[in-house]
Amino acid sequence: MTTMMEHSASAPGHSAPKRALIERLNIFTAFGLGIIGAIVFWYLAKAILPANTDGSYIKSNRDQYVLFSMIGWLIGFMTGIGALIGPFRWLLGKDLNHDENMFYAGKDQGVKRYLRYTTDHKVVGIQYLVLTMIIFFVGGTLAMLIRTNLAHPGGGWLQPQTYNAIVGTHGIIMIVGTIIMVTGPFGNFIMPIMIGARDMAFPRLNALSFWLIVAAVPPILSSFFLGGISTGWVAYNPLASQAPPGMDGYIMFICIFALSTMVAGANITTTVIKMRAKGMTWNRTPIFIYGVVASVALALPAFPVFFLSQVMSGMDRATGSTFYNTTGGGSGWLYENLFWIMGHPEVYVILIPAVGALMEMAPVFTRRPLFSFNMAVMGIAGISGLSVLVWAHHMYTTGWAPLLSAPFMLTTELISIPTGLLFLVLIGTLWRGRLWMTMPAASIYALLWNFMIGGITGIYLSDVPVDGALHGSMYVTAHFHYTLMGTGLTGALAALVFWFPKMTGRMFDKTLSWVGFWFVQIGFNIAFGVMFFVGLAGQPRRVDAYAALFSRGNMITTGGAYLIMTGMLVMLYGVISSWRHGALAPMNPWFSKTLEWTVPNPVPLENFDVLPVVTSDAYGYGKAKS
Amino acid sequence: MSDLDTQKRPSIFERKDVKQTVFFWVIFTAIIGYVGATAQARSMGASASETMSTTIHMIKVFTWVAAPIAGLVAAMAMTTLIGKIHFGDAPPEEADHQIRNSPRLTATWLVVSSVLCLFAVVWGTIVLQNDNAALLNPKAMNVNVTGQQWVWNFDYVDNGTVRSEDLYLPVNKPVVFHVTSRDVIHGFWIVQMGIKVDANPGYITTTSATPNKIGIYDLRCAELCGLYHAYMQKKVHVVSQSDYDAWIKSHGGQI
Repeated sequence: MTTMMEHSASAPGHSAPKRALIERLNIFTAFGLGIIGAIVFWYLAKAILPANTDGSYIKSNRDQYVLFSMIGWLIGFMTGIGALIGPFRWLLGKDLNHDENMFYAGKDQGVKRYLRYTTDHKVVGIQYLVLTMIIFFVGGTLAMLIRTNLAHPGGGWLQPQTYNAIVGTHGIIMIVGTIIMVTGPFGNFIMPIMIGARDMAFPRLNALSFWLIVAAVPPILSSFFLGGISTGWVAYNPLASQAPPGMDGYIMFICIFALSTMVAGANITTTVIKMRAKGMTWNRTPIFIYGVVASVALALPAFPVFFLSQVMSGMDRATGSTFYNTTGGGSGWLYENLFWIMGHPEVYVILIPAVGALMEMAPVFTRRPLFSFNMAVMGIAGISGLSVLVWAHHMYTTGWAPLLSAPFMLTTELISIPTGLLFLVLIGTLWRGRLWMTMPAASIYALLWNFMIGGITGIYLSDVPVDGALHGSMYVTAHFHYTLMGTGLTGALAALVFWFPKMTGRMFDKTLSWVGFWFVQIGFNIAFGVMFFVGLAGQPRRVDAYAALFSRGNMITTGGAYLIMTGMLVMLYGVISSWRHGALAPMNPWFSKTLEWTVPNPVPLENFDVLPVVTSDAYGYGKAKS
Repeated sequence: MSDLDTQKRPSIFERKDVKQTVFFWVIFTAIIGYVGATAQARSMGASASETMSTTIHMIKVFTWVAAPIAGLVAAMAMTTLIGKIHFGDAPPEEADHQIRNSPRLTATWLVVSSVLCLFAVVWGTIVLQNDNAALLNPKAMNVNVTGQQWVWNFDYVDNGTVRSEDLYLPVNKPVVFHVTSRDVIHGFWIVQMGIKVDANPGYITTTSATPNKIGIYDLRCAELCGLYHAYMQKKVHVVSQSDYDAWIKSHGGQI
């Protein structure tokens, strides 16, 4: 910031016309320019690209036009939101001046700053929160369509093609929603204050990472009108190369989202390493920070591979290359490897920050120090390290490399050791504490319950011979919902209630939080607990019809799903009503000792008047023995 | 496990919360182990091969091995829950201690979880080696399996040019399946025999089983393969050797 100020002092007066441009750009110009860009690129592609005459069924002009047009959309959207103003200024050898930077930070703009390319981390956090809720709303609606269709064994009222498209879109959109649900809202809003920083290390990259995700949403939604993603969320080739142009929406969505994740990962990692308050040694850094850093640091190696796998998939479709086509010398196993090299770290990208958030809350709601901070850090580090070495356990039954099954079984089961440490830390913290029964405290119990079930069923699945019976069945579906939803979402909802007072200045309605909690948890355990048993009995995943013997289990699961829906709608109502007219929150409603509770509500633009100096860790609860 | 301190300070067992925890631990371990093992084994239904019986057995044993850990976590959480619980908007009194660590407990926890992990890996590897050895059994019969959207074809290569869409197998005879696909990836899965391998275009993958009970079983596609994936199901008829021979002959094959 200081360098900017010097710059503005040296070159005053130049800012007036260009500021006007910044002021005019917002989400509406972004969508406008994005649509124009898409149309222009469509016609450009049509005019420039040679018509496809070789008749190969993989390569088609259709896919070329759709992919080009989506690239046009991305360029138009990012221009329209104002992401290119800074880089363009650099090309001219200049930079933004102080006033422009202040405008970018959202100074004195009220609600409008939420619709702009705003760099303030608190604005980005709120934007992520709203976007996460929108994604969950869409993904949840799709989930309800799936469950409603499956209430009846004979393939209900959805056509198979529609059903497959809904399953694929639900899968990928929920994966993205859960990836951003903790590190997005709370990693951006809370994390910099928690470490005593004024903003992120790269505020403009922060805004970039958010608006990239917004730009990624229309491609995935447009796929519904282009034939759908009928391949499941994994989009295995060669099925994906058969799929209609909806697949191109998936490809672009993943590419843009991977960019966003890489940008956010670099930004958050740098922020935590370089910008912690004076005196905040690694031993005094709150455990939630470790969770967030581990999550985004894992995303750094994982998502470039995902990006790459989709670029190759798109090339197979649009240019006739044969990376994944056996007849052309490629291999579907290559795709599966690339996909799961991303796919397994990614589940811990989702899980770790949610568990980290609950470990952060555990001392607050038991009024005693966090038990065994070192083991918590080692658990997170151990999971992160091992998780990049286990991807092929998704491929035991593919026949890719039977000889590697045993080593991958070893690495996979080793993960149970650091995961066990997280349990140790949580029950150790509960033990002999004074439990303050709030919704986040109850969520610790829900997490222990769900994560235990998800973890133990994971041990069965990691065992190669057992996986031979269970792979590809509903058992797997139930297992990963227990980890991603039962553990991840539980942590995220608790984090929402816990940090809501700081983010909005109002308390989350207590009654609504409890009602939502019980509906979600009971519904979840009914729905997915029963799903284990239909999986054991042999129901495959991703089917729109099933044998009569599974009908009772599916009926119960559908009932449970409606309870979850009720609970999530109650939570949504709770967010809206509490945000609008909840009780005003005190500065530190939970009497917590972390730094984010030392700043007033609403949090001022640069968080701290005077940067704090940290002299101890944040877990000094409990009475000293006299 | 939490009570490792016992050796040093015998009085720990006289504490109320420790007594409660031990009581809950025993109860929860029994419940989790029994309910988990029984319910899962029951829904897996009748087994039609040694592989499936082993799988069911492994799930039962893993459940019983995991039960004490899950039971301890549940017991400690439960003890806190029925202890000094506080509702309200103001925080409760601070806890009456500042315990931040317990090296013994942590070490015990690490050692126990490592031993359990080692047990799972070793046992899994042994069973896996047995399964792999079965692929090389020279006495086994061979069946070529070809998946395509959305049917299965079975070629009984040891018996001439017999081809069928339902799978017929003689009881108690080891069989090796050579699996491939003509278009996209399918998953060859005989549910009650607990075997599964993907059918990949351009490659041949193998799996094997020895059906040990006469009956009709389910064959399902386990990998999303397009529009009618859900309907890509067939029956597996396990019949006596003489019935099998008769079936082969009636379809123009030789024994």
